Amino acid sequence: MEPLTWTGSLGIVLNPFLGIVTVLFLVSLVAQTVGGLFAPAVTLQANPDGTLQTRGGVLGILELAMKYLLVAIVGGVAAYIVIPLFIPYGSAGIVGEISKRFLPVWIALVLTYSLSIKYKRRLGLYGKLFDSTVGMIGFGLVMFWVFTAFFVGVFDMIATHDYLSQVSGLKNKVPGVPVPEGTAGLTPHYLLGGDNLARDVFSRVVSGSVFVIAIAPLATIFAFMVGITLGLPAGYYSGRLDTTLSFIANLILAFPVILLFYLLVTPEIVLTGIPSYMAAFLFVFPLIFFGVLLNSRYYTQPAKRTAIMVPVLGILGWLYLSIINQPGTVIDFLPAWFDLFDISILVVFVSVVFVNAPTVFRIVRGLTLDLRTRDYVAAAQTRGEGAWYIMLWEILPNARGPLIVDFCLRIGYTTILLGTLGFFGLGLSSESPDWGSTINEGRKLLLVFAHPALPPAIALMSLVLGLNLLADGLREESLKD
Amino acid sequence: MGLFILRRLGVMFLTALCLTFIVFWLTNLAPNLEKLAKTQGNARMSDDAVVSWLANRGYAQPLPVKYAQWLGVAPGYVIEGSDGQVRGRCIDPGQPVGEAPSFCGILQGDWGFSTVAKENVSEVLPQRLANTGKLMFWVMMVMVPGALIIGVLAGMREGSRTDRSLSTVSIVSTATPEYVSGVVFIALFATNTFGMQWFKGSASSAVQDATFENFFLPVMTIALYGMGYIARMTRASMAEVMTAQYIRTARLKGVSFPKIVLKHALRNALIAPFTVIMLQIPWLLNGVVIVETLFTYQGFGWELVRAASNNDIEMLLGVSVISVFVVLLTQLISDIGYVFLNPRIRIS
Amino acid sequence: MTSSRNSIHPAALMYAEEAKSGQLSRREFMARTTALGVTSAAAYGLLGMTAPAHAAGHAQQGGTLRMQMEVRALKDPRTYDWTQIAYITAGWLEYLVEYNSDGSFAPMLLDSWEVNEDATQYTLNVRQGVKWNDGTDFTAEDVARNIEMWCDKTVEGNSMAGRFAVLVDATTEKAVDGGIEIVDPYTVRLNLPASDISLIAGMSDYPAAITPAGFNPETMLDNPVGTGPYLPESLEVGVRAVIVRNEDHEWWGYAAGKGGFLDRIEYIDYGQDPSAWVAAAAADEVDMTYETVGEFVDIFSGIGWEGSEVASAATIAIRPNQLAEVDGTTPYADKRVRQAIAMAVDPAVCLELGYSNLGEVARNQHVGPMHPAWADVPGLPYDPAKALELLTEAGMADFEMEITSIDDDWRKNTTDAVAAQLRDAGFNVKRTIIPGSTFWNDWTKYPFSSTNWNHRPLDTQILGLAYRSGEAWNESGFANAEFDALLAEANSMADAEARREVMGKLQTIMSDEGVTLQPYWRSLYRHAKPGFVGWDMHIAYLPQIYKIGLAA
Repeated sequence: MEPLTWTGSLGIVLNPFLGIVTVLFLVSLVAQTVGGLFAPAVTLQANPDGTLQTRGGVLGILELAMKYLLVAIVGGVAAYIVIPLFIPYGSAGIVGEISKRFLPVWIALVLTYSLSIKYKRRLGLYGKLFDSTVGMIGFGLVMFWVFTAFFVGVFDMIATHDYLSQVSGLKNKVPGVPVPEGTAGLTPHYLLGGDNLARDVFSRVVSGSVFVIAIAPLATIFAFMVGITLGLPAGYYSGRLDTTLSFIANLILAFPVILLFYLLVTPEIVLTGIPSYMAAFLFVFPLIFFGVLLNSRYYTQPAKRTAIMVPVLGILGWLYLSIINQPGTVIDFLPAWFDLFDISILVVFVSVVFVNAPTVFRIVRGLTLDLRTRDYVAAAQTRGEGAWYIMLWEILPNARGPLIVDFCLRIGYTTILLGTLGFFGLGLSSESPDWGSTINEGRKLLLVFAHPALPPAIALMSLVLGLNLLADGLREESLKD
Repeated sequence: MGLFILRRLGVMFLTALCLTFIVFWLTNLAPNLEKLAKTQGNARMSDDAVVSWLANRGYAQPLPVKYAQWLGVAPGYVIEGSDGQVRGRCIDPGQPVGEAPSFCGILQGDWGFSTVAKENVSEVLPQRLANTGKLMFWVMMVMVPGALIIGVLAGMREGSRTDRSLSTVSIVSTATPEYVSGVVFIALFATNTFGMQWFKGSASSAVQDATFENFFLPVMTIALYGMGYIARMTRASMAEVMTAQYIRTARLKGVSFPKIVLKHALRNALIAPFTVIMLQIPWLLNGVVIVETLFTYQGFGWELVRAASNNDIEMLLGVSVISVFVVLLTQLISDIGYVFLNPRIRIS
Repeated sequence: MTSSRNSIHPAALMYAEEAKSGQLSRREFMARTTALGVTSAAAYGLLGMTAPAHAAGHAQQGGTLRMQMEVRALKDPRTYDWTQIAYITAGWLEYLVEYNSDGSFAPMLLDSWEVNEDATQYTLNVRQGVKWNDGTDFTAEDVARNIEMWCDKTVEGNSMAGRFAVLVDATTEKAVDGGIEIVDPYTVRLNLPASDISLIAGMSDYPAAITPAGFNPETMLDNPVGTGPYLPESLEVGVRAVIVRNEDHEWWGYAAGKGGFLDRIEYIDYGQDPSAWVAAAAADEVDMTYETVGEFVDIFSGIGWEGSEVASAATIAIRPNQLAEVDGTTPYADKRVRQAIAMAVDPAVCLELGYSNLGEVARNQHVGPMHPAWADVPGLPYDPAKALELLTEAGMADFEMEITSIDDDWRKNTTDAVAAQLRDAGFNVKRTIIPGSTFWNDWTKYPFSSTNWNHRPLDTQILGLAYRSGEAWNESGFANAEFDALLAEANSMADAEARREVMGKLQTIMSDEGVTLQPYWRSLYRHAKPGFVGWDMHIAYLPQIYKIGLAA
């Protein structure tokens, strides 16, 4: 087999085109950004025929040119993605083959977008997202990785090779290298080359997304449960409870995060069982949260309350026990058939929740302090509602805007934290394809072979960027309310 | 005001006390002590030897006693070891037993002894802090003006094309953690892969002599990550100021736009960024650890990683004390600064 | 002891015959005869050859060397666990004997030594005219005191006690009474309770640095009394260490023509990341590496540096522990499981992926062609299909093997390569990585893990250390009476040719029992900027810094 080039025969036409267009776009972007500083502010002027005057002059032409250039760039990129789907293997180069591998993701993205945009008026805040370009781009980036993780994790699609199998002769080989005859795999090439142990970089990056997409949001949700359950009463009651909880939160926040990780995520500490106890403590909060949430709502109707709470708490309790129960650690009492799953990286999970929870606590406490003076709270108090009802059913829904925005940002931050752990080689197995560990692996040979480290770095960056843009879009749209 | 500062200082000491105790407890857990013995004694030491090594050096004492000794409220141990040698916490190498002071904790100004560096913590840490200080100085020199300029330019005409592109730049920069940008920078500018080998991928020579070549990449790596956040805060603050009544009045009076921005808006717009910059310093600490590890620059973050991975107990305690004070002092300064800059706020 | 200084040990003559007839390798011959007190020149003479010329003869006096090396904290030399520490202290703390890459032992602070026929009595003749740098004479007192210190087992981490185990009293944990005898100011005699031919080798190892009277490890930097030509100038752990020529001291080596060329040696720490070393080399911040590993061998050659390679018996053993309990069973006690593991792993792939093909493929026997009595016994064939069959037969097809390794480059990569091959063969494998600082806490107890083993000159040495029943370092939990008996037999046989037959049996047991995976022998590398001489990589990483100089 011949090695693949980056863009194959497709690139002969598309590369120069896209290159020229991009350069022109960048030039006009700079010109406009600089020019915009000195230009007078745009004011609306009515023309004699009743239309509104658009901006004229050089800047106006630039703006128009940029619009078309942008369309050309997007078209060019789209061509790289779409055309390879219809031409035979290899003729569209590495880029084309990667695009082909992502076919299920493209389909899912197109479906999501067309459906969402069609019904956006009925979809509340989510629908409004599609009014904001920034939000749409961010959402697209996030969903790209979510779908990738979904298809890799559930259907075992996209990845071309087993992310752990090592093929003799492909150590540190450049992108597009052909694999030896008879190697198991869906493509006869390593699309993004081989890493230091002759494993397929492309497959490792897409497999890594499963890890990141599964852990980061889940850990963030747990952190929110802890933060909300403690932050609401702290803000609502104030006083000594608030002082104590705030002191503890500030104490944790005063730790340098990396020192905390070094102290918590080491094999020695796992031996002592501290992470297991911490898990038992932290993960009980979702139980409390849902218990109080449902109880405060339905306590006037005991029959209904019991009917709802028993199954909910039963399932949650089972999940809780399954999570904290780990064979070989201090908490190991469940029979194997009762233990649903094992989280091999419980310690990582616990630490990430532990680091994030105090910040959420502070945000919720601040919001509650502000919201408890509102009229509807006073009204509920006059009605004689219980304190927890007011906190969970009056204050919390009104604080959702900032919390949702922070949730998106925090998933991004958690992703970065997980990467940091991988970067310092803490807690995760060396073979784990998660992006942080892969970057750490790759950086050792960075001065010689850049290709194993760059793809996971770019993947991580694009996901976090997507989450940030999404949060920005959501903030903008929720402010318009 | 005085009472406020006093109370904050009180909280600070209480936090430092709690925090060092937690660090002390975690580093003194049995498996960690075993690790310490093996790294200090001999990597392939037998279990009996580990036990006697620890006992001879006072590690086998109860935790509160050891902590009190570190604080300097209990007399330091003096133990005659199973090998016949007398060791004491306060006995310097080569010093006769009788001449040593009985108390030597943090209250007496003794920060303890680093088992990895084989030097007193009080000799090692200042050097590391000075190195990190040098790094931080240049980071600030790049980051603060850069962030403020981007933020002010973006915020002075909210929604304009300039605003859009600068905002995108700042979002991209906040979305790129140091270990990603550092890796990308090294790949781009310190290797021959892309034909742009302009800088050095190692900053260890910068400890002696920082040049543009060996210091640019680490400084940029930290500055970029922090810059985006400050720029966005500045932009928000600037945008808010620009819609204020007095700015509108000035514009209606016919004051020129540059003059409005420079004379009227800027001062008020910079109050929020000031507090953000102060609060950003503890966050930069994180970046410092990553960057110093990535670029082998022997500063505070590098020392933290080294101490943590070798369970260097007293060094870690020193590191925690310093970081607690950095975090809480910057908070305090930002609060006080906020009050001074903003005449509308008074602390009762 | 009647042998005079000029007589040659009878065994040495026998060895010479063997070596000439090709039954004994030259390396082994040099190691054996020089250990018996024959000078290296005389040993070469026995073979009818002349000793190789001293390369350092072309060095100029003066100059500075900057070496990339991890700078570790100094401690009591007896407890050294990193050769890097010895590289610093070798400037002023010297050795009695030195071991060279050609396998010979050369006298340093000793002038010569004799060993009686059954190796129960050693006579050490101390070099005359050697002075400590505080002006006092170096005498037999100093040698006796140091040997006594080496035999002190009560010092935690004293690894010299292991090398001198024959002289250690089991009850007092100190040297046996009358074991060390000062005959006259320049003669020490060791009277051993049992025969042991490895003591000279022990004296040449890096923890055997000779310390002055009243030595205190805690003040060794402030008060650097020693016999060597250098003095420490500064030491900052993890950053740099500098040693400079001691101008006020007349080193014995100048007169003996040993060298001591450089005026100043700087050791600069660039961490454990080899790419940082390349960066430092490219930026001309260092002149030499301590050791070049893996991919970086080619890279350093690529930037125009000179390389030095030495083939060694350093290796990695990835062994299941037969005693280890996992969930109440001892999975690796079953021979079939161990054989299955051995048959599922191709050593060549381990060498390629784990160590960039910088070595030679081995056969899981932990004895190799570089050893004198190595027998050419085949290992188990590479046959993944058969391996899975064996594993299934043992009822362990679903068992999850947890393979542990340290978190560093080649050891981790090799272990990863083993794990991947086991997985390919259909085994259920989990990998665990433990940071270097923690790994050694339990290194002999992990159910299945990898350990690096250094070069040892004799074939029986490593088998005795790591595979004899009940040994402290027996990490595979291997206990086999037949093996122990054969090993004892081999240890009593001085003749390599006779021993080869027994070694063949031992090696067959190693293979058949699947005791360990030991996929390859490593070659060791060092690189330096052109213009230096006498800096060759040492087979056992010994700090022979006095040999280094700038080319004349």
